[in-house]
This record gives sequence, structure tokens and C-alpha cells, in this order.
Amino acid sequence: MNDLTLIRKNLFRKKLRAILLTLSILIAFLIFGVLGAFHTVWTSGSEVAADNRLVTVNKINFTVSMPYAYWGRVQAVEGVEAAGHASWFGGYYQDPTQQVQTFAISPEAYLATYPELVFPEGQREAFIENRTCLAVGTDLASFFGWEAGDRIPLLSNIWQKTDGTSSWEFDICAIFDGREENMPANYAMFHYDYYNEALAFNQDQIGWIVTTTTDPSLNDQVAREIDAMFANSPAETETSTEAAFNEAFVNQFGNIALILLFVVGSAFTTILIIVGFTMVTAINERTGEIAVMKTLGFPAPRIFRMVLSESVLLSVIGGLLGLGLATLMINAIATVAAAFLPGLAMPLDVFVAGVIIAVILGLVTGLVPAINAQRVRIVTALGKQ
Amino acid sequence: MFKQIGAVTMMNLRSIPQRAGLSIATIISIALVTGVLLGFLAMSNGFRATLQGTGSESVAVMLRGGSQAELNSGLSSDDVRLIEDAAPGIARDAGGRPLVSGELYVIVDGIKRSSQTEANLPLRGVGERALDVREGFRIVEGRMFEPGTNELVVGAAVLREFQGFDLGETIRLGTNEWVVVGIFSTGGSVFESEIWADLAVIQNLYNRGTGVQSIRARLTSPGALEDLQAWEEDEPRLNLDIENETEFFADQAGGTAVLIEYIGWPLAIIMAIGALAGAWNTMYSSVDTRMREIATLRAIGFSGFAASVGTMVESLVLAAIGGLVGAVAVYLLFNGVSASTLGSGFTQVVFSFAVTGGSIVAGMVMAVVIGFFGGLVPAIRSAYVPLLTVHRSE
Amino acid sequence: MEPVASLYELKDLSKSYTRGKESIAIFEHLTMSIPQGDFIAIMGPSGSGKTTLLNLLGGIDRPSSGAVECEGVRVDKLSEGKLAKWRSENVGFIFQFYNLMPTLTAAQNVELPLLLTKLSGKQRKERVKTALDIVGLADRAGHRPRQLSGGQQQRVAIARAIVADPKVLLCDEPTGDLDRASADEILETLQLLNKDLGKTIVMVTHDPSAAKYAQRELHLDKGRFVEKELNPEPAQ
Repeated sequence: MNDLTLIRKNLFRKKLRAILLTLSILIAFLIFGVLGAFHTVWTSGSEVAADNRLVTVNKINFTVSMPYAYWGRVQAVEGVEAAGHASWFGGYYQDPTQQVQTFAISPEAYLATYPELVFPEGQREAFIENRTCLAVGTDLASFFGWEAGDRIPLLSNIWQKTDGTSSWEFDICAIFDGREENMPANYAMFHYDYYNEALAFNQDQIGWIVTTTTDPSLNDQVAREIDAMFANSPAETETSTEAAFNEAFVNQFGNIALILLFVVGSAFTTILIIVGFTMVTAINERTGEIAVMKTLGFPAPRIFRMVLSESVLLSVIGGLLGLGLATLMINAIATVAAAFLPGLAMPLDVFVAGVIIAVILGLVTGLVPAINAQRVRIVTALGKQ
Repeated sequence: MFKQIGAVTMMNLRSIPQRAGLSIATIISIALVTGVLLGFLAMSNGFRATLQGTGSESVAVMLRGGSQAELNSGLSSDDVRLIEDAAPGIARDAGGRPLVSGELYVIVDGIKRSSQTEANLPLRGVGERALDVREGFRIVEGRMFEPGTNELVVGAAVLREFQGFDLGETIRLGTNEWVVVGIFSTGGSVFESEIWADLAVIQNLYNRGTGVQSIRARLTSPGALEDLQAWEEDEPRLNLDIENETEFFADQAGGTAVLIEYIGWPLAIIMAIGALAGAWNTMYSSVDTRMREIATLRAIGFSGFAASVGTMVESLVLAAIGGLVGAVAVYLLFNGVSASTLGSGFTQVVFSFAVTGGSIVAGMVMAVVIGFFGGLVPAIRSAYVPLLTVHRSE
Repeated sequence: MEPVASLYELKDLSKSYTRGKESIAIFEHLTMSIPQGDFIAIMGPSGSGKTTLLNLLGGIDRPSSGAVECEGVRVDKLSEGKLAKWRSENVGFIFQFYNLMPTLTAAQNVELPLLLTKLSGKQRKERVKTALDIVGLADRAGHRPRQLSGGQQQRVAIARAIVADPKVLLCDEPTGDLDRASADEILETLQLLNKDLGKTIVMVTHDPSAAKYAQRELHLDKGRFVEKELNPEPAQ
């Protein structure tokens, strides 16, 4: 037997109470873990962004296109390592509800700006050489069951061909993936030329330009120079880092972080109050026993520590169970929803933050009872009996 | 029997202050759960109300076939003319001219007041017919723009959520400068989240030639939509998707509003389980501290049933107070609060949180359910407080 | 008879408490000494200060004035922390209502004071076994207090009191809650501890027949010892 035995025995003295408290703590940490994982994947755009990658869009709005010629001029800017362009295709497969994120790109140049995309042996070259090739991310490929060698039509809900249709035929010749787990691979890319030559309107326009700089410290200078180049032209540009661009886009949906903070805050406030008051009650019930312990010679600081450890233990047990359950849930959701939420996983920092919060919660809820316990006056407490 | 239950219940409720800490904990936890649920429902209801409040059954919206949203669509001036000249079921003004409005839809950047970040705003190019196909449009400040100028009018919701659109201000959108000459309202509908300017000016500035993106037409009656659709089917020169405006916006509302509810309900239910554990714990302590009292009552002839009803009522009362506190708090804090999010038109839709009677009922029901299940086992337990004989009164 | 070394010296001891604005004296100017190996029964009516005296001896209460000296240590002057340590090394307490930890087994209850020592787990186990052997409860080591009779619980409490090998046992109405037969068993055990192991025992009791087991009886009334008597032949 040691202090931990005593702490454990005290904690589980009323089993139902301990179970209910653990359950309510578990729930709060489950919510924290699941929302934390979602929030991470939601904002991962700015995390997976390369620090030397810039995005140039039309200053009016990123949905407004710009002339194709801009691409050549951006490539010539000093400090630019590589520059590729892309256009939103508005693609869907068979039915308008089956949306497929698809970009028309300058194959070689665009891939040069995304070195983190990995292709199986030979497929990168195959994609660059083959005009009708569609390079598909693995998450997207597995969602639709596509394989290299398939020939599929994709329709656009924006563009029309000169023949009046909106359907482009593609040969899937490459399946790519992100180098790291959290990099999305839920989209497809194809040759800009193959699409542009058939367009009925808006020909020779591109959606945006992606640039990598030779050094991140040149980002500001390069961005300024690009925007200055097109100032006072019909299509002015706005260049920002990829991270800032992604963040701004995510912000369009509203202050998700604030909403999550409200929810998680409510959940934690709930358990803070429930566990806090219950611990106070529980320690009050044990005043006599604490007095006996003191009589036996247990020093007050040790009793303080034991009570505090009890609430920390409770909180950490509940927290670990909740975070564990959250991990299981996230893994289950991730396998189902890989195509929509690529890279969904329990992030280590969320887990660690959860454990730290659990310890803090334990300390906070245990503080008052521990002070009460430490202050128990033997004579008064024993006299009460 | 009822007398007994009444007496025991009153004793229970009067003793709540002795367990103030845990009782308050229960009330607050249930209030927070109710609050979270109502918050999400208020968001969803508000968003839905804005989009559903927008449509009119007697306005037809026409987009290019398969384009799904105004942003993606593209139609020629020939299409507009053909509809004006030949389409059936379209209402006409006193002068006999058809009420058809071809409109452009360009996305521009606005700065959100709340986050100071850029967000998509729709800049709509409209002609003089635009007001004939909309309900409740009125200029609340300033005046309408002059055709052919760089003037624009701004929806009241845009002014609320975005900065730089005050009356008289000059705004730069891309290369072009615009002057805000009026603020308009359409009675809380989604058009208030838009900026309007002259169609021809926008066609010119954005190199759209004479093209438009959507065509709205006032129908002679809601039923005339079918005639219009049938006519379009047989007209080889047209490839349009035609819906009435109510359906058009209902489709757009669906996704986001349902998504918010799909997040809100599971969250609230999971949190409710946590609160349930808390309520159970409180009632467990309540029975614990009243053991002797209950045993005494039973010894002098009160029934176990009365004791358990007393416990259950205490639990339900705490839960109901919690639910009410949560509902009132959400109402005071959030009702009418303006927010905006990216709608399915790929532009910001400004809406107000709406705490509806229905969602308050849903919240209260959830609170009471938590109270019921939280109190159930303790109530049963209080009926079986150890006593040698259980007196059953009839 | 050899002169016996004194264990406790109480000098001019006063204790009062305040109720509202009034100060009520429990006893005043009490002076006495307790030799090592003594077995004293302190008797007296309720409110006579018996338990308070015991608390002062045990270092769980402090006098209003005067000195409590134990083997030269001014117990009343020790800080809270030092006092706790002193108690764990020198004093074993036995209470009327046993005061066992309901969540712990008999053996664990007995082991509790040993957590304050540096003994290894194995050494602690042996000590616990010895202590339980002495009170005759080795076969109940794994039982919880609730599974034991009152007399058995009190014997566990005695084992807990002696396990750390203290010099003095302070017993507050140790038989107050027990039937005659169990009470006699407890008192015989205390007598044994006094005689064979040389423990000094101070026992507060209401019960004259319990007091008979002691070597001497002190009668406390209104804060004074009104009578001291020696039990020439302590009860067997």
C-alpha cells in the first residue's frame, strides 16, 4: 500500500459517483478531442502551406479570372523560383451532386510549385506529356474507385465547349498523394491547354497563379513586385502567401474558432462546476477520516497533496478515456469521409493539450477541497462525531 | 396519496438550499447544454429564415442548364430577348412590356467588420426591371443609382457586416471606383447581402459584352411556371434550368442550415449525456443526505412511492430551471445577432440568429428529459431506502 | 521499588475555550507527571476535561497556558508539521468509535501509520502481521471494517495504534461502544500491552469497571484531580 492506494480507494469509495463524474469528464474531453481534430483539419490549409509559396489572384475577387499572359510575366520576376497557374473547372462526375474539385493547370510549372505531391514511378512524366491526362488524388480516386488507365468524362457547371457541351473526356494516367498525412489528395488536375482550346468563352484566361520564391524572406518583395506590375491594368492582382490566402478563405465561413470555443468552453464549464462541487461535498463527507489521518501524524501538506492528486487522477482518467474515445471516433470518421475531409486524424498537439487541460482541471477542481482538507482541525472534526 | 406526495415533494424542494452547490451545478450544466443546442438552432433557423424569406413563388429564376448557381451561369442577350418576346406566362406592365430582368453576378471582395478579413460579396448588375421582379424593395437612405454611372446601392445587411460601404463613400473594387449613393432594404431577405449597380456599366467594366448570368421573370401566376418550363423544353435555342424563386433559395438554404443542425444536435446530445451524469450525481447526493429523513417519513407511514416522486420532482424542477436559464440566456445574448457565412452561391449571406419558439420547446424538452433520466435511479433508490417494512398506503 | 523515569510532565496547564464572548475554563493550573510504563484511567463526569487532557497529551490540541513536556520535548511549542511527525513516532490513538478507514482492509488500516516511516513494503507487512497477531486478528487481515464486529474493529484500531511502536497509547473511551465481553477483551489487550511491551497507557473512561484494569485511577472534576487512587490489584 502507498499513498496512491489511498487516493484510489478514496476516489472509488462511492463507485456510482466516481463513474458518473468520470462519464461527465469523458464527455467534455470527447467533445474537445473531436472538435479539436476537426478544427485542425479545417485550418490545415494554412498549416500545410509552404512558407515560400504565394498565391496571386484578381484583386476584385479570387473567382474573377485574369489574362493568361500574366503567367509569363510573373515567371520573370526576380526571386521567383517557379510559377504555375490554375483555373477552377467546377467539375462534377455524371451527376451535378457528385462534385469533383478539379483544376486546369500548367502541368509542369504547377507541379514544380508543389514539390510535396508524390507520384508513383513514371506517372509524373506521363501526366506532363499526355494532354488528355487527368491526375487524380488518391482520396478522390478511392472514393470513385478510379484507377490509372480509366477513361472518364468530367462535366463542368461553369464552362462550355464550342460544340455546346460541357463534357471533357480524360484518361487517368496518374494517381498522386501528399507527402505527409495531412496534405489533401482529394482533387484532380489536368492540362490547361486541353481545356482552353475547347472553351466557348473566357478563353486565354486563368484563375490564379501559384509562385514559389527562392527564399521565404523574399515573399513580401516578390508579392509587391507582382502586384505593382499589374497595377492600373484592367485586371489588378493581389498576391499573398498561401497560408494567408487559405486562412482568409476559411474565415469566409464565419468565426468557426469562436463557435468551437463557445461549445468547448460550455462543456468544460459544465464539468468544472459538477466535479468541483462534488469534490467539495466528497471531502466534507470525509472530514472525520481526514482528522484521524492527521491524528496518526499525516502532515497537512501531504493530505493536501493526496486530495489534490485524487481530483487530478479523476480528471486524468476521464480525460484520457474521452480523448481515447475521440481518437477512435475520428479514425472511424476518417475512413468514411476521406474524400471530403482528407487528413482527418487525431493531432498529437490536440491530444497533448487535452491531457494538460485534464491536469489543470484536476488541480482547479481539487484546490478548494484540498485546502479544506488541509485545514481540518482535528479536535473540532473528531468532536463532531 | 396526493397529500403525501405533495408533502414529501415540498420537503424535498425546501431542502434544496442545503445542497445549494450541487443543485446550482446541475442547473448550470443543464443551462449550458440547452444553450449550446439553442445557439446552433438559432443559427440554423436564422440562416434558413433569411433564404426562405427571399423567394417569391411568382418569380421564375432562369440559369444556364446545369450551372446550379448564378455565379456559374452565363446567358446571352439573345436569350433574354427571346424570353421577353416569346415566353408564355410572363406578366406585363401597364405599357405591355414583359417583366423580365437579366442580371449579372460578379463576386467582389469586402472586408468583414468582425474579422477584418476579405470575404466574397455579390455585386449584381441590374437593369430597370430588377425592382419589378422583387418584393419589398425600398431605399432606406440616399437614392437609387443613376443608370450609366459608377454609382451603386448597398444592401442594409452588407452595411451591417462589412466596412467601407457607408453612404457617400467611395469604394475601389479592382480598378474601378464606385460611389455609394443609397442603402436598400428588401425586408431581411438575402438580397440585402448584395451590392447593386447598373447592368450595362458592369457588363462593360467586366468585359461581359451584353451577356447576363441569370434571368428573373414575374409570372402571371405561380402556376404559369409549368407553361414556361414546357415552352423552354420545346425551344431548341434555349438550354435553361427554370425554378421558381422560392425553390431556388430553399435549395440554397438546405445545405448550410441542415449542416448546422447536423452539428448542433449531436453535440447537444453528447453534452446532454454529460449533464445527465451530473444531474444523476446531484440527485444521488440528494437522496444520500436525506436518507434519514426519508426513512423517518417511511417509518411514520409515508409510502416509498411518495418518496420517489419527491426525488423525481426535485430533479425535474432543477432541470426545468436549467433549461429556462439556458433559453433565456441564449435569447438575450444571441437573438437578432447578425452574422454572415459563405452561402451556396459562394458569397456571404448575412443573417440574424433567430431563437424560435419551436427551438425553445426543443431545448426545454431536452432539459426535462435530462432531469427525468438523471432523477430516475435516485428516485427508485429513495423508494427503497433501507427500512424493515415498506408501508404501502392505498 | 526502583524510581521510574517520567514520560510526561504537565506544568501549570490551563485550557479554556470561548463561546461567544465568554471564556470558559476547562481546567486551570494542572500539574502532574506520568511515569513511563504507567497505565492510568482518567475518570470524571462529562465536561470535566478528560478528552481535552488526552488531546493535549497527544499533541492534537494546544494548551491556553502551561507546558506539556514529553521526554524533555515541549510538545505545546512544536510547529504543526513537527507535531505531526512527533505524533507519528510517539503516540498511538484509540478512539471510542474506532475511526477506521472504511475503504481499507484491516491490514491496510494497520499499515496506515507506517506510510509515515521509511520502512520498506516488506518490513511494513511484517510489522502489520505482528500487530494483528498481538490483537489476535491475523485471520481477519483482509476484511473491511464493515465486515467486522465492534470489538474486532477496536482491536484493529489497537493494532494500528501500536504498529509504529509508539511510547504511549492514548485511549478515549475505548470500550464506550462495546458490550461487556468485547470490552473486557479490549481491556485485557491493553493491560497486556502495558505489562509485556511496557507501553504507557492513558485511558479516558466513564466506566468504573474499565478503570479497574488500570494501575491507577484519576478522577477529574471541574478541572481538578479530586482523587488519586492506586489499584493495588488491577482487574484480571
